[in-house]
Amino acid sequence: MWEVFTLNIMKNIYLVPLILTIFSLSVIAIAFQLDTSPEMIVGESMQARSFPIFLMILKLILIGVMTYQFYKNNPKPVTLEKYHTWGSMLLFLLFYLLTVYTDMFIGIFVVIFLMSILWGERRIWVAFLTATVTPGLVFLLFDYVLKIRFPRGILMNLYYG
Amino acid sequence: MFEQAISAMASVVVDPYLLGLIFATTILGVIIGVLPGLGATTGAALLLPFTLTMDPVHAIAVLATIYVSATFAGSITAILINTPGTSAAAATTFDGYPLAQKGEAGRALGIAVISSTVGGIFSVIILCFAAPLLARVAYEFRSPEYFALTVFGLSMLASISAGGAVKNLIGGIFGVWLSTIGAERVTGIERFMFGNYELYEGLHFVPIFIGLFAISELLVQSKTVNKIINTVTMKAVKLPTIEDYKKIWKTILRSCGIGTFIGVLPAEGATVASMIGYSEARRWSKNKKEFGKGAIEGIAGAEAANNAATGGAMVPTMVLGIPGSGTTAIILVGLMVHGLRPGVYLFTEQVEKVYQIFGSMFVANVMFMLMGLYAAKLFARVSLVPTQILWPIVFALSVIGAYAFQGQLLDVWLALIFGVIGYFARRHGFSVAPIAVGLILGEMVETNLQHSLKMYDGAWWMILAQPLALMFLVFAFLGLCGPMIYSWITKQKD
Repeated sequence: MWEVFTLNIMKNIYLVPLILTIFSLSVIAIAFQLDTSPEMIVGESMQARSFPIFLMILKLILIGVMTYQFYKNNPKPVTLEKYHTWGSMLLFLLFYLLTVYTDMFIGIFVVIFLMSILWGERRIWVAFLTATVTPGLVFLLFDYVLKIRFPRGILMNLYYG
Repeated sequence: MFEQAISAMASVVVDPYLLGLIFATTILGVIIGVLPGLGATTGAALLLPFTLTMDPVHAIAVLATIYVSATFAGSITAILINTPGTSAAAATTFDGYPLAQKGEAGRALGIAVISSTVGGIFSVIILCFAAPLLARVAYEFRSPEYFALTVFGLSMLASISAGGAVKNLIGGIFGVWLSTIGAERVTGIERFMFGNYELYEGLHFVPIFIGLFAISELLVQSKTVNKIINTVTMKAVKLPTIEDYKKIWKTILRSCGIGTFIGVLPAEGATVASMIGYSEARRWSKNKKEFGKGAIEGIAGAEAANNAATGGAMVPTMVLGIPGSGTTAIILVGLMVHGLRPGVYLFTEQVEKVYQIFGSMFVANVMFMLMGLYAAKLFARVSLVPTQILWPIVFALSVIGAYAFQGQLLDVWLALIFGVIGYFARRHGFSVAPIAVGLILGEMVETNLQHSLKMYDGAWWMILAQPLALMFLVFAFLGLCGPMIYSWITKQKD
């Protein structure tokens, strides 16, 4: 029994149940800090904290069942992602920084261009064209047809004045 | 009532703007369905922000058209390149691709087109009759019944196709918890907002759905970069011959029934329907040995069932506000955003709009049939668009779509965060659809439980004293524990 358990720990099989358990316990801890309402408002119904706590207890029970299933079935460990996946997530971060500090459309342009290259596009001009035309068309559609105002930044300040 | 319904449905055909919109959306839906990874759900999530400025009927018609046309179009790539464009077309690959390899790709596509159209139209007809009847029953529902019904809907998440039952339930509970973020509806107490007042009214569905379905799919697709696709050549789509019809008509009818029924069940969808449709086609066939080698009944069984599920899934969505699948969860959000409150009132106060939506679905089925017959070869070429071009474009549409919903950058960050959460969930075998359905049903569960407790002065067991509520709770219990009880009984017998 312990052999299977230790082997599974070594293969990081229990990482997901562990993270989910920590999450559920944190939610319960935060829920206990929530304010309570006076009896005359709530009456015989629930306090605001009760429902999330109930949900997390239910979730903890299910996590227990899932861990037991992992122990019984000995699942294969999840393989590591290719650099395309991690790189794409890093590009999301870059998009956040560029949007906050420069302009949303500069962020979209840079991310589309870099993502195309990262995913294997060898023709720089194709990546550049995609990165320019896509946000351009989307901007025209949302600005002229759907009348959406975009957040201010370097480019939008030039456009809106 | 009947005349009103007929005239509302007929009004779709004489509205050139709506017809043009359905036509354009059908083309888009077929393209979305053909592109591996970009299924009906992702497509609807991406298109939802574009529908915000539209008239409610037009907006829902667009989303419903995407649903039916993308569900069909998944079969084109399933048959030609052995890659289902949508998960609902996975069963079509079993016999579609082998038949295409034999040089009969046109015949396989012809059977898929006809079966899908019959399935789709059959389910719209059922929708037209079943939805108002169910609405009449739902008129009697009060808080205890709605609470029990939503619990039943959540219990059905256990059997959503991807992921195991336990994982799906964990996902569903996570979704319900997400719905508790923001100010509590009765007392106004802030929950899990961490001082962020943009979350006071709770998490909005649109950015979350864009993240869960579109952004997470982008990250999943990043693993398939440089995948080599073998295409099968095809001259033209061939309509089934009389011999073919003789072979498949029973299968199509059976799958129409199966698909519609599976679609009506809360949280079940086209993927489950097509798998059951396929296995039933095999079970009832006289040529079982042909299955897996290019049996036309296999294609017809899967395709009729998955398109029949589209109309079926709209029944609980529109009548009870309980989505029948991931895509209908997005359609439900579309209904709410446009002020069409799903439920009994939709069928009493806004009957005309309801039947215009049904009419649009009917027209969409006819349009995708024409496109499937005359342009499938052209659409199949779309699937060859390189992923390194397609998915960066999806990224742009996702972030701008998330922003456009309320004009808040917070929604963009939420979409990206939930995209990453959705990706890691899928990486570890969790499906994202239960999270979405849980998020939608969460408010209904909590609010109706609160109202029920107030009704009975805190005596929760009184919910069990209501016959309809008890029935739904028993169904929920059987749905969750039935398979375990059955396997225990079988073991005892052995």
